Amino acid sequence: MDPDRELVAAAAAGSREAFDELVRRHQGAMLTLARVLTAGRGDADDLAQDVFVRAWRSLRTFRGDSAFRTWLHRVAINVVRTSQAKDGRWRRLFAAARESGEAPDDPADEAEGVDAVLARRQLIDRALAALPDELRLPVTLRDLQGLEYKDIAALLDVPIGTVESRIFRARQRLRPLLEPLWNTTNRNS
Amino acid sequence: MEHDEQELVAALLRSTPPPDVRGDFLARVNARIDAAARPRSGEPAAGWLPLVDFRVWTLRLATAAVALALVALFWRAAPSAAGAPAVESTAAAVTPASTFSPACSSDWQRDVSGDALLDAALSPKGAGDAR
Repeated sequence: MDPDRELVAAAAAGSREAFDELVRRHQGAMLTLARVLTAGRGDADDLAQDVFVRAWRSLRTFRGDSAFRTWLHRVAINVVRTSQAKDGRWRRLFAAARESGEAPDDPADEAEGVDAVLARRQLIDRALAALPDELRLPVTLRDLQGLEYKDIAALLDVPIGTVESRIFRARQRLRPLLEPLWNTTNRNS
Repeated sequence: MEHDEQELVAALLRSTPPPDVRGDFLARVNARIDAAARPRSGEPAAGWLPLVDFRVWTLRLATAAVALALVALFWRAAPSAAGAPAVESTAAAVTPASTFSPACSSDWQRDVSGDALLDAALSPKGAGDAR
């Protein structure tokens, strides 16, 4: 059963209070998803807001075939893809600069030595950003967002076997990139 | 071994610290929803937008064109129905039946009856010219 069902029904009827609660529940997940999908482009916060604006406009079309959370992920993917299509040229330039090591430093770099949590998150973000889109999205939806395989398959419009294969390959590629965290985890365990 | 590594990577990803959501995130979402619901300053009011939409104009002009065509149609039909007998009777009254001559240019300038034309066509050449 969808834990958001009642709030969704109230929001669809026009209750802004109910929608505010939905935003509070899912803002972290949407921000994470936007940040990973944009590969640290810097406009993740705006895109995450845009997800909720679109969701509010489209809420009446939500029929409850899936959980609200899954539906919200679909909205988020569409929002990010639309944004990427709009400034694809800029993004390609950014990617080229990043590959050649010319990317501007992330402001968070300054805090890396200070805040271990931030450093950990940054390392994971960078590892995910190094993946191609077709691997990054499924592994993000599965391991960061906690969606079921069948929901991911429906969101990406591919068979479950393809989702499993992509997640497997993504984890293989991430393994060396997450080496520092791996060692820390092994030492701690 | 491969399976363990897969699980470990998944566990590492799951342990990603949650993002720092800005305190005004909800307020900004609401502001954007409200802004989208009302026209922005400097933008024409919603009531004026259709006036600059060429599709609206085209539709309205098409309606006006149809209306004008209908008016023109009735305008033509009404006078012809009411005035035709009057014109015919006037022509019959002023045209003498036997005074038309094809050779007389002034005769072409006035109305003549059908009988006069028939007589002129059937009469021997020069008969009308003798006048």
